[in-house]
Amino acid sequence: MTRARLLEVSAGIGVMSSLLLSLLLPPEQVQGHLSKMLFVHVPSIYLAYVAFGVTLVGSGAYLATKDLKWDRLAGASGEVGVFFTGLAILLGMSWAKPTWGVWWTWDARLVLTAVMFFVYLSYVALRRAIPDRVTRARRAGVFGMLAIVQIPLVHFSVIWWRTLHQPPSLTRPGPIQMDGPYVVALLVAVVAFTLLYVVLVSRRIELSKIEAAIEDGFQTADTAVAGAAVSVPRFDQLENNDV
Amino acid sequence: MGFWRQVRAVARKELIAEIRTGEVLLITAPFGAVVLLLIPLAVGTDRPLLTRIGPGMYWVVVLVFGIMVALRQSAIDEPPQRDLMALLGLDPAARFVGQAGATFLLLLLFEVILAPVAGALYNPQLSGWAWPALLALLPMFAFGLALLGTLAGWLTVSLTTGRSLVPLMVAPLSVPLLLSATQALEGLRIQASITGWIVLLLTLDLALALVCVLSARPLEEAAR
Repeated sequence: MTRARLLEVSAGIGVMSSLLLSLLLPPEQVQGHLSKMLFVHVPSIYLAYVAFGVTLVGSGAYLATKDLKWDRLAGASGEVGVFFTGLAILLGMSWAKPTWGVWWTWDARLVLTAVMFFVYLSYVALRRAIPDRVTRARRAGVFGMLAIVQIPLVHFSVIWWRTLHQPPSLTRPGPIQMDGPYVVALLVAVVAFTLLYVVLVSRRIELSKIEAAIEDGFQTADTAVAGAAVSVPRFDQLENNDV
Repeated sequence: MGFWRQVRAVARKELIAEIRTGEVLLITAPFGAVVLLLIPLAVGTDRPLLTRIGPGMYWVVVLVFGIMVALRQSAIDEPPQRDLMALLGLDPAARFVGQAGATFLLLLLFEVILAPVAGALYNPQLSGWAWPALLALLPMFAFGLALLGTLAGWLTVSLTTGRSLVPLMVAPLSVPLLLSATQALEGLRIQASITGWIVLLLTLDLALALVCVLSARPLEEAAR
């Protein structure tokens, strides 16, 4: 079994185990089974931060080294980050409706997460709009570094402003206000979804390499050799014609 | 030619092009005024409601139409123009600062034109000392937006979808600017302290200026 296949199987088993574990846990006192959305919602937003952090590192490394592998990493991570941000927003809205009574509220965390989603969506759109690899890498590198300002804003919004959204579950100062089995299940979910992130990013990088190879193939095929219509004079023919 | 002389030359070129075309003053500014006129028709002409939402609507219109100002036709250099400027030895950072400077002046003018229109239509009820404070807010907002718009313009130069992409890139990134400006204006309206929001605006402007000047050279290389 190759390393990539092993990673994929581990991610699959991890995600399935996490979902199974969350189903086996007893319902929470106030929210009942609804609280189990936590096990997808929290890893999704955590992975969005990780993904955009990797985009920053990849962008910076590309601008410093001009090695396109860093740009591929930044781009792949940005796309996966947009997916996880979108997932976190959708799950958050589904969770908000039964608990807050509305799909959306003008809460700092929600608004800034949506803003972060659109910033990175424009990062992905910028990448798709530039066909040349080097130009794309340079421009996306600058934008990828600028866009990172969103992450601290989103993460600390629940601390800086009075919001409906609860403060961080595990990383806030003081004792963890969550039962042991829930903490374990959340950690399992975080690890499983991190594996999923690694799989998605590595597959996207592979896809980028294939896209680049295909582009190279097209460029070579499309470029006609100058004077291709003129046949090469052959020595034996020249001799027969006594030229 | 020194850096600031290059900056002045680029800004002058941009402003002359704008004077000749009148894109901002004759097209974008009246369009912004029309939108300010349309909003009350959509939300209802209830006077207390308009007084409350007026300042926010003003900033939203300035933000959205400010992106159009940054994207004006005369601000977009075609490849032959860029090549010529590169051959002349123009510093990319000077070209960036010059373009952003011209955009800043045009945005400021745009804000100044729209402010009395919004004042007349929405009656925001600002007290006497709030008007000079508002005059200090306008350039800070225009500066940040001009930098973001110019940067996005450089990132999307010669792309077929560039003009559609810039608003998507600039609008979410300018949320802190919008938040600071609207909250500061609200503070002026209710006569509360606005120091925190002013500091935030200044910090954003400085950070953006630093990022933009540092990224000018890689972007100039990427434009080739």
